[in-house]
Amino acid sequence: MNAATTTPIQSDVLLPERLGDLTGLNEFGLAGELLSTLIGAVIVGSLILTMTAVAGPWAKRKITASFTDRISINQIGPAGIGIIIADAVRMLSKENIIPENADRPAYDLAPIVIVGSALLGFAVIPMGSGIQLADPEVGLAFAFAVAGIASIGLVMAGYASGNKYSLLGGLRAVAQNVAYEIPLVVTGMSVVLFAGSLQMGAIVDAQNTQTLVDLGVVSIPAWYALVNPFAFVLFLIANFAEVGRNPFDMPEAPAELVAGYQTEYSSVYFVLVYLGEFLHIFLGGAIISTIFLGGPAGPGPAALGIVWFTLKIWGVFFLTQWLRSAVPRVRIDQLIEIGWKGLLVLSFANLGLTAAIVGVIA
Amino acid sequence: MSTGTEPEVESELTQPASGTDEAELEALLGDRAIAREEHLNAPGFVINPNDVQAVLSDLRNEAGYDHLSCVTAQQYEDRYESIYHLKKFADPTDELSIVVPTTSENPVSQSAEPVFRTADWHEREAYDLIGVEYEGHPDLRRILLPETWQGHPLSKDYDQEKPQLVTLTEHQNPIQPDHRDAESDTMFLNIGPHHPATHGVLHVETVLDGETVADVEPDIGYLHRCEEQMCQSGTYRHQIMPYPDRWDYVSAGLLNEWAYARAIEDLADVEVPEYAQVIRTMGAELCRIASHMLALGTFALDVYGEFTATFMYTFRDREVIQDLLEDLTGQRMMFNYFRVGGVAWDLPEPREEFFAQARDFLNELPAKVAEYHDLITGNEIFQTRCIDTGVLEPDVAKSYGCTGPVVRGSGVDYDLRRDDPYGYYDQLDWDVITRDGCDNYARVLCRMEEVEESAKIIEQCLDLLEEWPEDERDVQANVPRTLKPDADTEIYRAVEGAKGELGIYIRSDGTDKPGRFKIRSPCFSNLQALAEMSEGEYIPDLIASLGSLDIVLGEVDR
Repeated sequence: MNAATTTPIQSDVLLPERLGDLTGLNEFGLAGELLSTLIGAVIVGSLILTMTAVAGPWAKRKITASFTDRISINQIGPAGIGIIIADAVRMLSKENIIPENADRPAYDLAPIVIVGSALLGFAVIPMGSGIQLADPEVGLAFAFAVAGIASIGLVMAGYASGNKYSLLGGLRAVAQNVAYEIPLVVTGMSVVLFAGSLQMGAIVDAQNTQTLVDLGVVSIPAWYALVNPFAFVLFLIANFAEVGRNPFDMPEAPAELVAGYQTEYSSVYFVLVYLGEFLHIFLGGAIISTIFLGGPAGPGPAALGIVWFTLKIWGVFFLTQWLRSAVPRVRIDQLIEIGWKGLLVLSFANLGLTAAIVGVIA
Repeated sequence: MSTGTEPEVESELTQPASGTDEAELEALLGDRAIAREEHLNAPGFVINPNDVQAVLSDLRNEAGYDHLSCVTAQQYEDRYESIYHLKKFADPTDELSIVVPTTSENPVSQSAEPVFRTADWHEREAYDLIGVEYEGHPDLRRILLPETWQGHPLSKDYDQEKPQLVTLTEHQNPIQPDHRDAESDTMFLNIGPHHPATHGVLHVETVLDGETVADVEPDIGYLHRCEEQMCQSGTYRHQIMPYPDRWDYVSAGLLNEWAYARAIEDLADVEVPEYAQVIRTMGAELCRIASHMLALGTFALDVYGEFTATFMYTFRDREVIQDLLEDLTGQRMMFNYFRVGGVAWDLPEPREEFFAQARDFLNELPAKVAEYHDLITGNEIFQTRCIDTGVLEPDVAKSYGCTGPVVRGSGVDYDLRRDDPYGYYDQLDWDVITRDGCDNYARVLCRMEEVEESAKIIEQCLDLLEEWPEDERDVQANVPRTLKPDADTEIYRAVEGAKGELGIYIRSDGTDKPGRFKIRSPCFSNLQALAEMSEGEYIPDLIASLGSLDIVLGEVDR
């Protein structure tokens, strides 16, 4: 690894601070800081939710349609993009049917937990162009931790619905998340060993300040996907299990469990659960982009960071949809077996190997 | 026949059933055969109602009649009668009918269930629709009609005019009771009647132990449309032919029509012109490909999830066949193309265009099949999901009367197109596909390879049709306007439908309508084996096994 230094892609100033400077809120002390942070959060949240809105009702249908030789939505607006509004109105105006046997507070809270946990994770993601809400020392650990809360949401949804299919889906979700969270985190740790920090900003910088190969005209940066492709693949697989997508879409398993933990949700609650799923796919994509694909780095000025970052997230999203169209789902026992006997062992091997290599180089 | 004095059937009606050694059978049955009867397809022996098990097990073990194809029950003026249509898997032309008469006052007959597992459902159906009771049956209750139905609709004293209200309180909602056992930690789960993977309205009562399936019981009848009765009230000549399209309605229309055509043509002694037979063969095989494509696509839905591309790919290819069939028959699904004694009309004009389209399809097929192998059967995850799941041992399959790709996937070489030839099959060059895997994977492969064999058949038919002399293109035989077969002529004839052996039993009563019309649905028998295949496996395997059976509920419930 050549230590050719380039300008760090990571801006030192976080979004809330900049907003504070811009609006003059910083002068109001703690209250001002809080307000500017909130404004920042609204901006980041809107960005992510807009992406989900495009993905859920429109892009997903279009992508699946092209895989399956269909045209799909094309009536409202150019390429059917207006379906986003139509669907929003449709879903929100439906009757919210709550089953008699539902365990009320838990049933109502579950969708919020699922969505909330995913949204929280975006707080520490450096999205480029200076969009990052916070960059704590424990950034990566925080992202994993809040994403993990979703499992609780899934169990709540499954258990509180009072439906056997939901229950089975909820149980599967836990078994699956427990089995795959460990390899996910352990593989993530190997990246931390390279970067020497849990801080998201530092991980991004570490990838982009070093060059893997210098070809003269172009230099290939030391993105960890290229430095350690093995860890990248491991992480990708564990991530698909974590977000519950083919070949690991066990918790829903439409043909088997009707719709798993979300069977009983309708109207707004369904929108939330569905939204939560997409948010988790995007959060998974964001973590992958950040720790393996150089975060917002890309050709052109640093101001384009958010564009590159979005493209990378969408790349991961596209991959999930591709797998969904093309790959069968494994059985629940096989899934657990792959998790505990395969990925766990491999991820620890990867961690040990990385530690040794990093130690030797150091 | 309850008295043992049965009317002698005219000898001119009897066709010697090939291979059946009647003298040997007479020796085997001895005194238990209280009378003889002749069916057009097979010799019949009349036995006492309490000899059923002994006779059937002797016939199976000593004489090799290992296939209880169908159980037909019917009521005469003076008696009830159950007919066990026996065959051999090794030679389905070697047929035998065991006739069991019971009195009108006390219609109780011994159950054949301990000998042939398939008799379980068949006898339940006989009880449900006719009212014959089977002693020793493990679970004799209604199968097609609601539990609270009054009377037996195909019996003589049933008032067809009287409306029946099955109230909600009487007809208990099957979803309602939670059969959770306080003692054990199993869970009762209703899969269906509305569930994405039941391929129609099927209700599978499942008991789960964790994710493992502890007990499975399919509950059918949601799509019962009285097809047998409708056929019984239609005239042979024209009014029955539209119904078969509606049994296996997804794409196998012509195959079903052929079942009726074959039965009535043999019953009324109609000779079908060769040219029409070639058209029939071609049309039937087109239907088979369409049906197998659908089976593959829906199986992929069960294993992949609902966003799979495979499903749409199979539908894309099936669509080409639908277009061809539409050109040929004028319809996309409810073809009504066969006629007694031939087909409705010749190939569409201009013929060259039809041939060109059909050949285009055949030329593209190998590449498409290769694509499926690439996408589906070659996928390692697919293989881990399907190999060694849904295991159906050959002996079990035979006992359940499974036929079609289901039994061929278990290594039993049984295909009526070759073993009991009809149409033009015996003059064409093709192979019967069997697989020894006995699992879901074997059944899928079996269907995919059968598609290629069907393509071979179609190609040869196209060659024949193209070169057929113009002045010999008879599409229909000369059939009387009204068909009135002699009274009390009985026949059971089967063809190889897309799902297996689709048989029809007809008894004429001297009028222009059948006295009894019984449909032997392959899906009905195949579905019975589901419990055998899925108990002890996981829920996903149950779903996959159900998919690999390729049932169509319209044919199961009729």
